Amino acid sequence: MKKRMRVLASVFAVSMALTTLTACGGKGGDSKSAETSDPNAKDTITALLPPVSGNFQDTFADIQKEFTEKYPNLTLKIEPASWEDMTQKLDTQVNAGSPPDIAFIGSDGISKYVDQGMALDIKDIATPEMINDYDKGPLEYMKKGDGLYGFPAYMEVHALGGNREFLEKAGIDWKKVQQQGWTFDEFREAIKKGVVSEGGKTSRYGFVFATAGVTSKDYLGILIKNAGMPSAFTQDLKYAYTSKNYLEVLKDIRALIDDGSMPKELSSIDAGKRWNMFLTGQTMITGKGMATFEKSANTNNDKIKANDGSAVKGSIPVTYTVLPVPSFLGEKAVSSVAVDGYVAFRGKKEPSEAHKQNILKALYFLASGKVAATTNNDLFVAQITESGRKAAESMSVERDADNKAAVETMLKNAAPARPDIPAELEAKAIKLEDEVIVPKLQALIAGEIKPEEMYDAVKSAAVSAFGEDGVVKD
Amino acid sequence: MAQLAKPAKRRRIRGDGAWAYAFIAVALVVFAMFTAYPVVSAFIISFQKYKPIGSEYVGFDNYIATFKDSLFWKSVVNTVVYTILTVPVSLIISFAIAILILPLKKKLQTTFKAIYYLPAVASGVALSVVWLWIFDPMPEGIFNKLIGFFGISNQNWLGSSATSMFSLVLMAWLSSHGTSIIIYLAALLGIDSSYYEAADLDGANFFQKLWYIVIPSLKPTTLFLLVTGVIGSFQVFQNAYLMTGGGPDNSTTMVGLLIFNNAFKYFEFGKAAAQSLVLAAIIALISLVQFKFMGKDVEY
Repeated sequence: MKKRMRVLASVFAVSMALTTLTACGGKGGDSKSAETSDPNAKDTITALLPPVSGNFQDTFADIQKEFTEKYPNLTLKIEPASWEDMTQKLDTQVNAGSPPDIAFIGSDGISKYVDQGMALDIKDIATPEMINDYDKGPLEYMKKGDGLYGFPAYMEVHALGGNREFLEKAGIDWKKVQQQGWTFDEFREAIKKGVVSEGGKTSRYGFVFATAGVTSKDYLGILIKNAGMPSAFTQDLKYAYTSKNYLEVLKDIRALIDDGSMPKELSSIDAGKRWNMFLTGQTMITGKGMATFEKSANTNNDKIKANDGSAVKGSIPVTYTVLPVPSFLGEKAVSSVAVDGYVAFRGKKEPSEAHKQNILKALYFLASGKVAATTNNDLFVAQITESGRKAAESMSVERDADNKAAVETMLKNAAPARPDIPAELEAKAIKLEDEVIVPKLQALIAGEIKPEEMYDAVKSAAVSAFGEDGVVKD
Repeated sequence: MAQLAKPAKRRRIRGDGAWAYAFIAVALVVFAMFTAYPVVSAFIISFQKYKPIGSEYVGFDNYIATFKDSLFWKSVVNTVVYTILTVPVSLIISFAIAILILPLKKKLQTTFKAIYYLPAVASGVALSVVWLWIFDPMPEGIFNKLIGFFGISNQNWLGSSATSMFSLVLMAWLSSHGTSIIIYLAALLGIDSSYYEAADLDGANFFQKLWYIVIPSLKPTTLFLLVTGVIGSFQVFQNAYLMTGGGPDNSTTMVGLLIFNNAFKYFEFGKAAAQSLVLAAIIALISLVQFKFMGKDVEY
C-alpha cells in the first residue's frame, strides 16, 4: 500500500512538473515553411480575430475553407477571441515574442506594436492592385511613418443617435441636421427641448453620452475634433490641446450638465447603461452612436412587436436616427472615425520572404472582397474597397436611407489619418490623455473641478511632456 | 575509515529520504520557474527599456522616473488609505462572525462557513458586475434606494471622488471574509477549554473571557491575517480595475493598477518592474514593522 502510494504520488508530481513545463513550450511547429523561401511550400498563417460583427465568428470555417481553396498550399488558422480578451491575448503574445501573423485591432493601437518592433511592414510587398483596391482615407490609418502595417476592414463614423419620435416632438428638423449639421448652440437648445421633468424628477434627458471610465475619452475626443483640433497634434507637430478652444469645449461640456439636459450622474454612466436609457425612452439623443446601433434598435423593435421576452426590459419602439456631432466656435465639422483592420505581425525571428507573402495573401483575403463585404454589411458600415463594393452588389441590407446618407456625408468630413506623428510623441500624448485628461474630465463631469482647472492641469502636463515650444499657444 | 563512510552516504539518499528529495525537487522547480525566475527577471527588466526584440539598458532611469512620478505617490497614498480602511475592519468583522458561528452545531457551522466562503469561489468579474449594479448612480440603484429611505439624496457612488474610495472600501467590508473566518474558527477551536472553565470558576463574563483569553490566544492568528491582509491589500488591483478604472481624477488608482497600466497598456515593462520592486520593498518594510511591534509576545 505504502509503495503504491509512493508511485501514485510520484506520478502526480511528475505530471505537475510536466504541466508547468509545457506552459513554457514554444509556439509549435505549424509554421514550418516560415523557415523556407519556397513560395509554394505548405504554410500556416495564424490569425487572432474578435467577433468583428455578430455573425463573423460563425463564418470562420467557411473563410478558412475558401482561403485554402484559393491558395491550396496555405492554411489559415484562426484563433477566436472575445473583444474583452483580444488586447490582453495579443499583448501577451507580442511581449512573449510570438504573436499571431495577423490580428484584428483598431488602427490607433498600431503605433505601440511598431514601437516594439513587432508589427510587420507590408509596404514593399503589397501589390499596386491591392493598394488601389482601398479607399485612400482608411488605408492611411494603417500607416505609421513610412510603413504600412495592414489593411483596413472598415471606417466607422462616431456619431450621435436620436429617437426620431422624440426629436420630432421636440420640433427638431432631424433631416436638416443630418444634411447640414448643427452648431453647439443649436444642439444645446435642441436637447433642452428633449428634457421631460415632473416634480423635480427627470424622466427623460435630452442627451446621454457614456462617460464612465475610459469612455469619457471618446466623449471629449469626438467633440474637440469639431472645435478645430482634428488631432492631438497640429501639422507642425505641436500639441493641440493647449489651445483656448479646448477650454471652451470643456466649458460647454459642463454647461450641458448644468442645464439639466444631461444627468448629473453622467460620470458613472457606461455604454450599456446609456443604450438601455435610449431604448427605454430615458433620453432623446445618445452617444456615441455607431452604425450597428440602428440594427440593434431594429432587432429590439421586432422583439417588442413579437412580444418576445428577451426585448430590453421597459423598452419602447425606437426609430434610430443618425445625427452628426455639433461643431464648436465656428470651426469646420470633422467626424471622428474608428478605422479597424487586420494588422500583420512578426515574431522575434524575421519571417522568410515566402511567409511574408503568405501573410499578405491572408491579410488581403480577409480585408477585401466577399469577406469584407459580408462583415461590413452585417455592421451596417460602408464598404471601403472596390472589391468589397462589387461583392456587396448582390447582397441586400435593410437600412434607413436617411441614416445611410447621413453617414456618407459625415465620412466625407472624416478626420484624416496622421501617420506623420512620431511614435514617441504619440505615446506621450496617449499617456497624458490617460493620466491627466481622462481623470480630470471625470472630475469635471462629476462637478468636482471647474473647466479652467482641468485646462490648467492639461496645459501644465503638456508643457512638461512636450516643452514650452512643443505646445500650441493661442 | 573512508570505506565505512561510503555506504552511510549511500543510505542517506535511499528509501524515504530519496522520495522526500524527489518531491521537494518538484516544488523547488515550480518555485524556481514561477516565483524566483520572474522576480529575478523583474529585477533585470527594471534596469531596461524592455522590447521583445532586444531590450536596452537604461540604468536607474526607471527608478528615477518612478520616484519623480506624482501619480505613483498618489497611488501609494490611495493604497495606504484603502489598506487602513479595509484590513482592520475586515479582521474585526471576520472575528465577530467567527465568534458568532463558534457556539453553533457542527452542521450549521459548516453551512455558515460555506456561505461566507462562497464569494472567494465566485468569479471576481461576476461579483464586480453585481456591485456595479448595486452602485448604480441613478435613483433606481440599490444603494441609492436604500439611502433614499433615510432622506439622503442620490449619490454618484463610483463617479465622484468624494464617494469612489468609500465605495471600494464598502465593497471590501461586505465581501471576502470567508478565508479569515475559517482561519479564526480553526484558531478558536484550538483554544484549550480549561481556560474557559477556569474563567467560569472565577465568575468571568463573556467580554472578560473575550478580552483575557480569546484575544491573547488568537494573537498569532491575528498577526498572520493582518500581515497577509496588508500584503493582499497593497496588491489590490481587480476592484479598482473593474469598478472605477482608477477614476475619477485618479482617486482610486492603486499601485497595482498603475503597474498593470504601465506594463500592459503602455508596454513600459521596465518602469512597471521598477514600481513592482518599490512596492515589494514597501510591503516588506511594513511587514517588518508589524512583526517588530506586534510579534513581540507571539508564540508560534
